[in-house]
Amino acid sequence: MKKNIYQPIEAVIEDVRHETATIKTFVLRPKFLFSFRTGQFIELNIPGVGEAPFTPSSDPAVKDRLGVTIMNVGSMTSRLHAMHSGEKVALRGPYGKGYPLEKFKDKDILIVGGGVGLAPLRSLLFSLFGEVDNYNKIVLRYGARTSGDIIYKDLLPEWAKKKKVDVMTTVDVGDPQWKGNVGLVTTILKDLPIELHKAIAVVCGPPIMMKFVNLKLLDLGFKPEDIYLSMEKNMSCGLGKCGHCRLGSYYICKDGPVFTYEQLKDMHDIWD
Amino acid sequence: METYFLKHQDVFVFYSRIEEEFELYAPIKVEAKPRLLCEHGFSLPTEEYLLRPFSCIQEKSDIVYNEYRCVEPTRTLFVYPKENISGDTPDPRRQGPSKPLAISGLKNCDIFSLKIQDFVFLGGDEVDPFYQARREDALIISGDCPAFKEVCFCRAFAIDPYSQEGFDFNLSPLNDGYLLDVATEKAQRIADSLKNILSLATRGQLAGRAQKREAVVKKLDAHLALHKIPTKGSLKDIVVSGYNSAVWQEQMLTCVECGGCVFICDTCHCFLLADTLSKEGPQRMRIWDGCLYKNFTRVAGGANPLKMRYMRLRNRYLKKFDFFIDNTGTQACCGCGRCIEVCPGKIDIRYILKRLYEEKHLSAH
Repeated sequence: MKKNIYQPIEAVIEDVRHETATIKTFVLRPKFLFSFRTGQFIELNIPGVGEAPFTPSSDPAVKDRLGVTIMNVGSMTSRLHAMHSGEKVALRGPYGKGYPLEKFKDKDILIVGGGVGLAPLRSLLFSLFGEVDNYNKIVLRYGARTSGDIIYKDLLPEWAKKKKVDVMTTVDVGDPQWKGNVGLVTTILKDLPIELHKAIAVVCGPPIMMKFVNLKLLDLGFKPEDIYLSMEKNMSCGLGKCGHCRLGSYYICKDGPVFTYEQLKDMHDIWD
Repeated sequence: METYFLKHQDVFVFYSRIEEEFELYAPIKVEAKPRLLCEHGFSLPTEEYLLRPFSCIQEKSDIVYNEYRCVEPTRTLFVYPKENISGDTPDPRRQGPSKPLAISGLKNCDIFSLKIQDFVFLGGDEVDPFYQARREDALIISGDCPAFKEVCFCRAFAIDPYSQEGFDFNLSPLNDGYLLDVATEKAQRIADSLKNILSLATRGQLAGRAQKREAVVKKLDAHLALHKIPTKGSLKDIVVSGYNSAVWQEQMLTCVECGGCVFICDTCHCFLLADTLSKEGPQRMRIWDGCLYKNFTRVAGGANPLKMRYMRLRNRYLKKFDFFIDNTGTQACCGCGRCIEVCPGKIDIRYILKRLYEEKHLSAH
């Protein structure tokens, strides 16, 4: 019998972690083992309510559970935020191509995250940490609006202690308790401990942040083919059929969501 | 491919035989108020043809040979406007006919559009099981166009007003009957059971058909020459380079966002998955969606990359003439002119393409 490609599988919310006032990480246990490659996304469904795409923030090596870090911004996410451990959701996927880790081998990897955009990058970091000998250096630069908006507060210092890893965080607006850098994430993209000729950059965050980080990276001398951007648009099916997420000659769901700037640079209005 | 001659008086025997195994849709004629008259002096027909289930047509004599395409886009019969797609295993017969589908009255523009739908729903990593079940079982009966409407412009995109592939049967009207091309095993099996009403076509009959086809092509080309529609080869270039053209804003002044153009279009395919709660529990619905609607690209939080109407019109053309040409080698427009007829704002794809062509190639002169 053929498979219904639109039908999600059941999953139970096992844990809900509060990251910030508006962001929670949901740990889900799907009915069946669930594999994904870092950077691929899922369609998370509340039966009878709706569905939305999210990129898992958990370690792809873990097959029986997955974490999804979600900001409360719309009707679907506000319903999700009202849910608790033990409640049932459903999911479909994984979809898209994810990060091409084979191209990152022996490279200095600069990872730039903005706000809740650190979520997919956490999954990437777990993957990189799992085979850290394959990479030369991992440099994380993360920006949030305020110190209260920083996600994975307990993990960031842990990551900074790992070998080959360099972490720096900034906030757009400082406060008396914040001892780190104050300024947009582009302000901590200088004096980077990387060698440009063997570096690649991975960027994920709100469109306006990605636009200016991309410009900064080009200024620094990154080649368009070495900048990996996580694009997002309204999606419905996740399978390249419903037509919502067209970007030039691509569908973000099927051909992305990760694209190099080289693939996008000649397109109009990619940051809108 | 075998070609037979079928007398006009035996058409209903042919249809009845098909109806034994299939849920047959056949064309009927309705008198309609002319929507658009030819500005160039051609006297062109204005009647409409509708596809109706053979079993529901009480007076079988109402069934006609349609001289050009029907009003409805063919995709309506393969991807329903609203459909329950719930369940671990797909049930393509939950809605619609219980028997496989047979459609008579399709034209070459419809056959072209089916190829676009096939690319969307049968292509890629995952096949749509609902579409696949209906499409693979379906019997496609196409027919030559001995006439065309004012809005028909298939030949501008090198699509002929008669089919040479993509069908099971093809009918070509000739004298007191039809030449019947039998292109597939499925069709041959039916033809074999109708030997008493079919005779092999003669060379003279085939030559007669070729002459008729040539005559309609000539007349259509003369009609299209007056409209100055750009040819297939220039479409991608003019639409991409016309990104900042004023034509998008000008044309959208009369758009009332009714969605008629996208829903009547036979190459459009966009849909939305919607979850609802019914008495039986949660349900997944698939509903046609259209890129001319303002929320088509709106994301959670309110951002919308296509917030203005002119952006959505431009997006529609980029999808049809840039995305599809890049991904399939062909444009997602069959030249059927349905969108021109349906538009209350008189937005005309032929005019927009002509403008884009002139802006690209004639602006310096």
